[in-house]
Amino acid sequence: MFGAKHILPKGNPPLESAYDAVLIGGGLHNLATAWFLAKEHNMNRVAVLEKNYIGYGGAGRNTAIVRANQRTQKNIPLYKEALDLWPVLTRELDFNLMFYNCGNLNLLHSEAAVKAARTNIATAKFLGVESHLLDAAETAKRVPALNLSQKITHPIHGAMYHPPGGIVRHDAVVWGLAKGAAEKGVHIHQQTEALGIATKNGRVTGVKTPAGTIYTPRVLVSAGGYTAGLLYHMLKIKMPISVLTIQAMVTQPLKPLLDHVVSSGAYHVYANQTLKGEIATGAHMDPWPNYTTQTTAGYIKHQAEALVELMPCLAGVKFMRSWAGLADMTPDMAPIMDGNDPVEGVYMNCGWGYFGFKSCSATGRYMARFLATGKCPDRLKPFALARFKNHRLMGETAALVNYTPDN
Amino acid sequence: MKRLTSLPTLRVDVGRPVPFVYKNQTGRGFKGDTIATALYAAGVRIFSRSLKYHRPRGLFSLDGESSNTMMTVNGVPNVRTETTLLAEGAMIRDQNAIFTARNDLLGFMDRLDRFMPAGFYYETMHKPASLWPVAAKMVRKAAGLGRIAPDFRFSGACDEMYPAADLCVIGGGPAGMEAALAAADQGLRVILLEARPWLGGSFDYRERGSGEDAPLYRQAADLASRVSTRAAIRVFTRTAMVGGYSDNLVTAVTEGGPDDPFDYRYLEMRPRAVVVATGSRERPLIFENNERPGVMLPDCALRLARTYGILAGREAVFSVGHDLGLEAALDLSELGLPVRAVADVRTKGHDPALVRGLADRRIPFYPGWAAAAVEGKKGVKSVRLASCDGGQYRILTCDLLAAAAGHTPAVEPLSLFCGPLAYDGQTGYFLPRTYPAGVFAAGRIYGLEAPQNIRISGRVAGLDAAAFCGADCRGAADAHRNELAALPMGRPASKWVAFPGPWRKHFVDFDEDVTGKHIRQAVGRGFGVPELIKRFTAAGTGPGQGGISGHNLPLLVAAIKNPSRDRTDIHGTVPAPTTVRPPLRPVFLAAYAGSGREMVKRTPVHDAQAWEGAVFRRVGVWHRARYFSADLDVSEEVDNVRTNVGMLDASTLGCFRIFGPDALSALQRVYAGDMSKIKDGRVKYAAMCNHDGCVIDDGVVIRIGENDYMFTTSTGRAGETVEWIRYHTRFDNWDFHLVNQTDGTGVINLAGPRARDVLERVTDADVSNQAFSFGCWKDFSLSGGIPVRCLRLGFVGELSFELNIPASYMQAAWDMLRKAGSGFGLRPFGVEAQNILRLEKGHVILGQESEQRTNLLDLNMGFLFSRDKDIRPVGADALLQAEKDAGRLTLVGIRMTDSSCVPPDGSILVDDQVVDPVIGYVGTIRKSRALDAVVGMALVERAWTAEGTRLAVYDGGGEPSERHDATVVRMPFYDPEGIRMRM
Amino acid sequence: MSLLIHCPICGRRNGYEFRYGGEDKGAYPAGRSLTPEAWYEYVHANTCSAGVVAEWWCHRHGCGLWFTIFRDTRTNRQVLEHGGRS
Repeated sequence: MFGAKHILPKGNPPLESAYDAVLIGGGLHNLATAWFLAKEHNMNRVAVLEKNYIGYGGAGRNTAIVRANQRTQKNIPLYKEALDLWPVLTRELDFNLMFYNCGNLNLLHSEAAVKAARTNIATAKFLGVESHLLDAAETAKRVPALNLSQKITHPIHGAMYHPPGGIVRHDAVVWGLAKGAAEKGVHIHQQTEALGIATKNGRVTGVKTPAGTIYTPRVLVSAGGYTAGLLYHMLKIKMPISVLTIQAMVTQPLKPLLDHVVSSGAYHVYANQTLKGEIATGAHMDPWPNYTTQTTAGYIKHQAEALVELMPCLAGVKFMRSWAGLADMTPDMAPIMDGNDPVEGVYMNCGWGYFGFKSCSATGRYMARFLATGKCPDRLKPFALARFKNHRLMGETAALVNYTPDN
Repeated sequence: MKRLTSLPTLRVDVGRPVPFVYKNQTGRGFKGDTIATALYAAGVRIFSRSLKYHRPRGLFSLDGESSNTMMTVNGVPNVRTETTLLAEGAMIRDQNAIFTARNDLLGFMDRLDRFMPAGFYYETMHKPASLWPVAAKMVRKAAGLGRIAPDFRFSGACDEMYPAADLCVIGGGPAGMEAALAAADQGLRVILLEARPWLGGSFDYRERGSGEDAPLYRQAADLASRVSTRAAIRVFTRTAMVGGYSDNLVTAVTEGGPDDPFDYRYLEMRPRAVVVATGSRERPLIFENNERPGVMLPDCALRLARTYGILAGREAVFSVGHDLGLEAALDLSELGLPVRAVADVRTKGHDPALVRGLADRRIPFYPGWAAAAVEGKKGVKSVRLASCDGGQYRILTCDLLAAAAGHTPAVEPLSLFCGPLAYDGQTGYFLPRTYPAGVFAAGRIYGLEAPQNIRISGRVAGLDAAAFCGADCRGAADAHRNELAALPMGRPASKWVAFPGPWRKHFVDFDEDVTGKHIRQAVGRGFGVPELIKRFTAAGTGPGQGGISGHNLPLLVAAIKNPSRDRTDIHGTVPAPTTVRPPLRPVFLAAYAGSGREMVKRTPVHDAQAWEGAVFRRVGVWHRARYFSADLDVSEEVDNVRTNVGMLDASTLGCFRIFGPDALSALQRVYAGDMSKIKDGRVKYAAMCNHDGCVIDDGVVIRIGENDYMFTTSTGRAGETVEWIRYHTRFDNWDFHLVNQTDGTGVINLAGPRARDVLERVTDADVSNQAFSFGCWKDFSLSGGIPVRCLRLGFVGELSFELNIPASYMQAAWDMLRKAGSGFGLRPFGVEAQNILRLEKGHVILGQESEQRTNLLDLNMGFLFSRDKDIRPVGADALLQAEKDAGRLTLVGIRMTDSSCVPPDGSILVDDQVVDPVIGYVGTIRKSRALDAVVGMALVERAWTAEGTRLAVYDGGGEPSERHDATVVRMPFYDPEGIRMRM
Repeated sequence: MSLLIHCPICGRRNGYEFRYGGEDKGAYPAGRSLTPEAWYEYVHANTCSAGVVAEWWCHRHGCGLWFTIFRDTRTNRQVLEHGGRS
C-alpha cells in the first residue's frame, strides 16, 4: 500500500558537465517546467539548481489558494488551464495534491467593488469560467460567520463566487513534481547555488556553480522573489519588480467553520480553512522591498483587526503561527515570462507577486514548450518584458496600486 | 482530593473556593488555581483526545507546550487550561471526542496507526479520482480540535498599551529580576515581563538549593519585593511575550485579572535593550506510550504539589536526566508522595547531596537507566525501566510517572531576536549563533543551574544592557562576569535520545500524533532536515508549535541518520531545529485586535445631512452622503438639480495652497498642462499623470496672488498630494511652501438653474453672469461675514457655484443656504445623483471610467497636456511615446439601443469575430431622464471608437450569448454646447 | 522583522511612519525626451539587490521630508553607508 520509495531523492545526483537545459530555482514553476520538459518534450537532460532545498521559498510559504477569476482575457485562460491541471497532475504523478474544490468568495464592500467584480465575472463567464455575483444575504448563507452589519468599516454588499477554485496542498505539489521529474531523469540539485550565467556573443553558454560550470544552451531563471535580483546580478538585466514580504498565519485547528475561501480587498484579508482545520489567513504587505522573510508585529495585528470585524466569532480563536515569504510585484500585477531577449537562450519567469502558486502548473507547461521550441507560445506573448517600455500595462488591476513610488 | 495547605510556597488561597461546571457537574477549585489544576484536584485525569489517534491525553506540563489540556471554556474552543486561571462559574467541556474524552467512541483510531504512516494522505485517497472529494470532506470533519459557533461573540474587553522603556527584561525569575535591579541601579527605565501571575520563576516553588543559605522561594520573594518597589521598574505579570522583531520590537499580551479593566491587553514596545531570562523547561523523554495520562514532567508534579497543594498520584516512579528531576523526586517524597524508584539516564555527574537524600529515604536509585514503556490504557498502571545499554529491565507498578530527559532552554524568545539556533555540544542545547546589538540573555537559558550562578548572570546581563544604553558600568559588568567564571559550572543535563526500536508509540509530538516511527519514515523517504520533516509529518505544527518536539526532533534525526553512533554522543551531527515563529503562544484574535478603533473622517456638515436623511458611504477615509432618498433611485434629486437647485457637500475634495518663488515651477512639474497661462480670476482645469502618463488626479488651479496658488484634488488623492509634489521636485532645490487645507476647508456645490437666486439672498456680492461668469472665481462674504471663495464650475452641467468655506463656518453657511433656498425648491443631493448628472455631461471620474493603465490621451484629454512647457511635466515622455500607439483602450460615449435596458457598471463589450473577444469595459451607465435614454461611458479598443459603431454589451448575468446592443455616440450627451452651465 | 528609520529631522522612528520611495536613481534625466529604453530604465527598472541599497523615503506621518538612506534588504535595517550599521 505504501511505497517505501523515495519521494525526494536522497542526496544529489551527480552534477554533469552539460545539460540540455538548466533551471535556476527549485520552486514550483521550475519543477513543473522540468516535469513537462521531460514528459511532453522528451527533454530529460535537465538540471534544476536549488540553493536551499526544494520548496524552500514561496512554494512552501503560500496559503495554497487556487482560482481562475482574474480580470483580463490574457490572464484568465492561463489560470483556468492551471486549475484544470490539478486532478490531471494528481493522476499522472500518482501523488495526492489534495485539490479541495471548495470555491472562492471574494467579498465586495462598495459599489465600486461590485462594478469591478462584474467585469471579472463577465469576462470569466465569457471565457467559460464559472463565476457569479451574490448579494449580501446569499453570501451570508454560504459563510454564516460573516458580519452583515452596516456599522462595520466596510459593510458587505455581496460577493463574487467562483465555484471552480479552492485550495491545493502546496508541499504536495512540490514533492509530487520533484518525484515525477526525477523519475523521468531530471537532475534536482539541492544545496547547489547558481553563481552566474556564462554568455558568449549574446548567447548563453553555461551556468557557474560552486562545483564548476555546467554547459547548456538554455537557462531558465525562475526563483520566485529572488529572480529579479539574480537577473540583475548575473546579466545586468533590470526588472520592473519590487520584492516585498508577504505574510500569512494560521489559527489553532477548529472543526469546520469556513466552507469556502473568503477574501476581501477592502480589508486586505483572505481566509480559508485548511483540511487540518486551521484558519489560514494573510494578504496585507509592508510596502518596502526586503528579503528577510520575517514576520512583523503590525501585520498580525492588522490581520486580527480585519478578521474580528469581518467574522466576529473569530475573536475567540487564537493565532498560533505566522510566517513570511517573498512576493515579486510588478507595476501591473501581472507576471513576466520572456526569453531569448536580450540574451539568446536565457529565459525568465517571474513577477508573479502572490499569484505564483495558483499558476504554476500551466506556466510550467508553457515555459517547457518555450524552452523546447525556442518559440514563445501565443499564450505567453502578452507577458513579455517589453510591455513596460511600451506603456502597455496588462490591466489586471482596475484601481491604482500603491506600492511603487510611481503612484 | 485534600490539598496540602500548609506549604509556604502555596499560590492558591484555600480559603477562597471558586466554583466551576465541568460536563454538567459542579466542582470547586481555589483562587489561584488554573482550570487544569482545579480539574486535576477534582480527579480529572483525561483532559482531551488527540487529533489523529484519539488517544487519551492528560496533564503533562503546566507551561502549555502541547494541546493535551485544551478544552472548550464558556464556548471558547481550544483553551489551554493548564495556563488559564480558573474564573468563577467557568463552563468547561471536552473537545474532539464522540461522547467524552474519557470514553471516546473514536478511541479505536489508535489501533489503525499502521494505516497512517507519515504523509499517508499524499499517497492514498486519490485513486480512483472520485474518491478524493468524498475523502476530503471526511478528513475535514475529523480534523480540527474545538468547535466555534458562527454566532459566537467574544465578551471580554481588550485594549492596547505602548509603554516606553530603556530595557525590557523578559522573564521574572531570579535572573530576570537581578537584571532588572542591576539596570535600574544604573538609571535605566525597565519593563519586566512575566507570564505567570507572580515573579520568582524556578525559585518560586523550590525549597532547597545546593549550598544555599536561604530557601529559594524566600530568595525569590525577597527579589520580587525589591523589584516591585522600585519606581524605575514596571512589572507586568500574567504578561507573556508573544513576538520579538528586529531592532528590539517586543510584543506581549497581558491576561487581565479580576481587578483589571480589561481581559486582554496587547503590549508593544521598542526598548533600547532586551534581556531574555526565560529559563528552561524539561525535555520530554521519548519511550513507549510516553504521553499516557499519568505521565508528566517532574517539574509539573513538583509544582502541582508546591504551588497548588496537589499530590499528583498515589505511587510514583521518576525517570530523569537532570538534578532538578532528582530534587523533585526527593522533595515530593518528603511531601508524602511514595516514590518507588528513580531512574537517571546519567551514569555520573549527579549532585551527591541529592543522591544521598534519595538513599536516606530508601528510594531505589538507578543511574544509567530510563523509562522504556508504560502500561495502561487510560492511565499509568506500570512502568518498565531499563538500563540504557538495554541489558536489564524492571517493571514497577505505579500511577504516576514523572519523566524527562533533561532540560531544554526556553530559547524561543531569544531565537526571535537572534535568528537560527545551532547545537551547543557543551550544554546539549540549541542556542543562538549570534546576538544582535542590544540583546542579552541570562540564567538557566545558558544551562546554569546553581542558584548563585543564575543570579550573578542576571546581574551581568542587566549591567551589559545598561552599558549598551550608555551607562558607565562596563567595569562592574566585567567584575561580575569574572565572578561567574570563577564559580563551578553546573552539571550538564543528559543528551539522551531514546532506546532503539521501531518507536511505533513513542510520541515526538503530541498535538499531531507524530511518533518516532513517523520521523524514521520521513527520513527514509528523503526528508532529511527538521524543516522538511515538519512539513511532511506535521510535527511542531499544532497548537504547541514545537513545545514538545522542538528539541527532540533534531536529536532524533541525528540518531536515525547515524545509527552506529552512541546515542548519547551525536554531537556534531545534529541538524538545526525548525524556525521559531511568532506568536510564541497562541493569542486570541481579540487580543491582537485590541481596542479596534475605526479611523474615519466626517465632514463639517455630516450631522446636518444626517438630519435630512442622508445615507452615507465610505469614500477613502471619509464618510460621504450618498443619497437622500429611500433607495438608490435618486431621480428626484437629479431632476431637482436640472430644474431647480441642489446643494452637494463636496468638503472631501482635496484643497491645497502652494506659494513661494518656485511655486509655479512645482505646479508645472506635476500638472500636464501649462500653469503659467492661468489668467487672473479664471479657473484652470488640470490633470496630474504618473511617469507612465496614466492619469492619477484631476482638479482645478487658481492663482490667488503673486507666486501664490490654490488647487484642488480628488477626494482619494488628497492624502498623497503633498508627498507626490515633494517627491517629484526633490532634486530641484525649489523654494515653495505647500499646505494641505482639506480638513480646514468645507465645500458646498450649489447647482441648478435657480442657484443664483439662492446665492443672491445670502450675499451682497454681485454674482450676476456679467460680473461673475462661468470659469471664474471670486472671494466674497455671505451674510454675517462668512468668507467664501466661490468657483464657477460645471461638473454637473448646470449653473453652479462651488463655495469654499472655512470648516468652522460650514454649518452656519449650510443652514443659511438651506433657508434661503426654501422658496426655490432647494434640496441637498448626494454623490449618486452627482454621478448621474456628471455622466450626462460626459465628465469622467477617475477610477470609475479609467483603469490603472489609462493615460490622459485615452480619456480624450490631450487638451490638458502641454507639449512645450519649459519644465517637462511628469508623464510627458510616456504620453509622447504612447500617442503613436493605435492599440490602446479609448474612452467613448455609448447609448443603449433599448432605452429600457440598463446594464450594470462593469459590464464588458464583446466581439466574437476577433481573437481577443473582450473589446472594452463599461465604466458607468445610467438611465438618463433628462435625455430619456440609457447612456454611459466605456473604454474600448481603438477600432471600435468611431461614432455609430455597434457594440454588444455582456453583463455577466446570463449566458454569454445574451447580449445587449449599444452604439458609440458623441459626448457630452446633455447640453452639448454647455449653455446651461454658462447661464 | 520590524523597521526603524532615522529621519534627518525627527530622529529614530517606527518604519510605519514612513513611505518607501524607490531605489535612488538620481534625478529624472535632463534633456528633451527619452527613448523608451531610457524611460524604462529610469521609471520601472530596479536592481532588486539583496544587500545595501540607497533609496528614498518620506516621513509621511511626520515632517513630510523626502530623504535618502542606505538599507540592507537582507536584514531590513538602515545602515550608515555601504558597510556600517547606523
